[in-house]
Amino acid sequence: MIERLLDEARRRARGADAIWRRVESTSVSFDWGRLKAAGATEEAGIGLRVVKDGRVGTAGTTAVVAAGELVDRALASADLGATVELALPAAAPLPDVPTHSDRAAGASLDDLIAIGRALLERLTRDGCQVSVAIGRDVSETRVANTAGAHAAYRTTAVSVSAEIWRFAGDDVLMIGDGWDGCDLPPEDRLDALVRSITDRLERALRIVEPPEGALPVVFTPPGLAAILLPVTQALSGKAVLQGISPLVGRVGEEVFDPRFSVTDDPLRSGRAASRPIDDECVPSAPLPLVTRGSVRSFIYDLETAARANTQSTGHGQRGIFSKPVPGYTNIIIGEEARGKGEAVGELGGGLLGDMQDGLVVDELIGVGQGNVISGAFSHPVALAYRVERGEITGRVKDAAVAGNAYELLKKIGGFGNDDRWYGARHAPSLLLEGVSVARR
Amino acid sequence: MKDRLLDALRASRADYTEIRVERTWTSSVTYRGRRLESATASEDQGGCVRALHRGCGWGVASFTSLERLPAMVGRASELSRAIRVDDPIRLADVPPHEADALLDLDGDVRGVPLAEKKRLIEAYNGEMLAVSDRVVDTLATYGDEVTEYWFVSSAGTVLHEVRPEITLSGTAVARRNGTIEKGLESIGLRRGWRGAQDRGAGFRAAAERAVALLDAPGVKGGRYPVVLDPELAGVFIHEAFGHLSEADFIYENPQAREMMTLGRRFGRPVLNVGDNGAAPGLRGTLPFDDEGTPTQDTPLIREGVLVGRLHSRETAARLGERPTGNARALSFRHAPIVRMTNTYIGNGRGTFEDLIRDVKLGVYACSAFGGQTLLENFSFTAAYGRMIRDGHPAELVKDVVLAGNLFQTLDRIERIAGDFRWNQMGGGCGKAGQGPLPVTEGAPHVRIEEALVGGDVPA
Repeated sequence: MIERLLDEARRRARGADAIWRRVESTSVSFDWGRLKAAGATEEAGIGLRVVKDGRVGTAGTTAVVAAGELVDRALASADLGATVELALPAAAPLPDVPTHSDRAAGASLDDLIAIGRALLERLTRDGCQVSVAIGRDVSETRVANTAGAHAAYRTTAVSVSAEIWRFAGDDVLMIGDGWDGCDLPPEDRLDALVRSITDRLERALRIVEPPEGALPVVFTPPGLAAILLPVTQALSGKAVLQGISPLVGRVGEEVFDPRFSVTDDPLRSGRAASRPIDDECVPSAPLPLVTRGSVRSFIYDLETAARANTQSTGHGQRGIFSKPVPGYTNIIIGEEARGKGEAVGELGGGLLGDMQDGLVVDELIGVGQGNVISGAFSHPVALAYRVERGEITGRVKDAAVAGNAYELLKKIGGFGNDDRWYGARHAPSLLLEGVSVARR
Repeated sequence: MKDRLLDALRASRADYTEIRVERTWTSSVTYRGRRLESATASEDQGGCVRALHRGCGWGVASFTSLERLPAMVGRASELSRAIRVDDPIRLADVPPHEADALLDLDGDVRGVPLAEKKRLIEAYNGEMLAVSDRVVDTLATYGDEVTEYWFVSSAGTVLHEVRPEITLSGTAVARRNGTIEKGLESIGLRRGWRGAQDRGAGFRAAAERAVALLDAPGVKGGRYPVVLDPELAGVFIHEAFGHLSEADFIYENPQAREMMTLGRRFGRPVLNVGDNGAAPGLRGTLPFDDEGTPTQDTPLIREGVLVGRLHSRETAARLGERPTGNARALSFRHAPIVRMTNTYIGNGRGTFEDLIRDVKLGVYACSAFGGQTLLENFSFTAAYGRMIRDGHPAELVKDVVLAGNLFQTLDRIERIAGDFRWNQMGGGCGKAGQGPLPVTEGAPHVRIEEALVGGDVPA
């Protein structure tokens, strides 16, 4: 289909590229401790982009339509489209990155149910409700363009998530965690998942008064979202072009703590977001964005790169229905991205020893609202623990933390020994000083 | 199509089977600043089969290739049989319906050339850019959608609908030196091309607000009497209370059920809350939900007391209550789950002026940039606010973040004005990976006795 489509497009436009993706998903969910449903989806679609007279247009469909009709629609879109000097990449050698596991692809529904049931049994305890979900995607992607580049690859993705709910009167506590990767979860990962949830639950049972003032705070890998979201937004070429990135024009400048680094790595093995080529036929390569505290680069897709007079960094991401946008794959945060694997650290990452009075923040409410990219944040805590004289003394409710991510990341008090993947991000806990903590 | 679906249905061996098929035409045009970012039209189609064998779990199969329909009916049935449940899933009865509900397309967007849609949003974008040279960036999006929808179930329901939708949204970014402020406009209607006309004033107002906020001080954090405008009050009731009233949250969970016991007092007698999927012309409005249950107006809180909740057929049967028509699916890619439709705080008495007359120092919080509820805690970011001084609205303030405990805050709603209106916003609601689902909220002005207003949290 994709070849026929590009042949038709080549006759009628200066250039074109296309993506075809087919995904088969299987999922099971144990809601409130009970296995209630199993799901399967089969989905395929094609997205086309054409360049005509320097204008770009797109069209996408999941329906079976004639190549000519889809090209018509993309050309109609291009008639109105923005003018961009889009340079479609030619064929190039691709890196080798394993993204497919036969074991994951071959796992039966019963295999997935067994993983979920084992997890459920290990998490079940009196007075609590447990929900578990397991999903497995098997997908096939083809990308090609009229400049001769083309590639096809298969990906498997497995995700496991679990949460414990505890209700005590009007105090509702929810603690969750998850794992995802290309293959079925190894036993030690499931052990770590169970330990992560039960450890945080046990330490949360006692409620203590929150502290107040400018205090040291350890942000756990999940809790770091509020701190890192402004940074990843600011490192996108899209924000650069919009003129809203506070990091624009600061390449080479030491903006962060000299031990702080950010890398996007589309070749990381075992990760479902890894791929040999991006959705615009640009070969994948790891991209250092911040090294030794200095800004090195921004992520670009073809269009933002063309408009910023630079090269795509291979970060074009596109769905079937939308035009490509710059997007991250696997973000690695750390002291020189040591990426020493998935450590199973204890809560606080070993950073609490010298803390007289402070917090461990694991989850905040409202991250992503408001003017994120400025770095300023102010959020009530959803899950946070008080630390007194080096020990976690209990969970705090009715507290809020505030600060500016850029200011706080200038001087990092410590990197935890608990590096792990959380969603698309690999990071250790970070100890940040002088975070403003208020009681509500 | 109908016959094709009924044939497939007859081939199912499950005790209950339903098939939904959708075909959706969408187009969208986006401007960023003076630059057209994209103009595109697409077509999406597919179906979803849900099957239930007695003593088993749900089997759900969704697909994009309609040729696969018979195979997917088999697959759903197979998945159902693979799950044994101790406690059988029962479905509350709904009388079978046959309906051919062609909603008024209000000017079918499929007949309007993309170039005309471009001209429309270009003009609205121009309204924002024309406000001031402080407006350094804008984002303006026109979106439309027509969905043709079929639903058949082994309970005898056969539905065919055509549903239009229009969304318009604008963001104006104003900048002076290091200060950046935003103004938002958002319109979402279950209407067609005619509904998108004459909307320029709202875009202009959004840009004017962004510019005005450049000079506004941040609100001083602290506890205040707070008056919510109807837009923010609507978002509040949806986020902070509505989700708790979705019965799938409590039906398998005795502790949560206890927290949400019918008859529990949630507020003072001025407080009335409901969800109305049958209110005419709104984004959350449809004749039937995605299980074929007719939509209705469901009271949730009456005079401060919890009186109802939102149900699917399964949650209703489990709790011995009646289905409310709230089982909705984002698209054929998903199974229906319990969702809100058009959620509202009922009308009170008097005007906005009456509401603030005896407030010496307070905050008037308007419109929403966003909000999140996590369990019993919430945080909302108002788009802007005004101080209330000596009973009158005073200076514009920014960074108005409301945070608090749901139960306390509901209980502190002390007065409600008589100026109810529906928000007709775009966007939508997200839950369990299904979003944004078109919903609407409505409310009058609402006064909260005392609430914590953040801006900067004082260190």
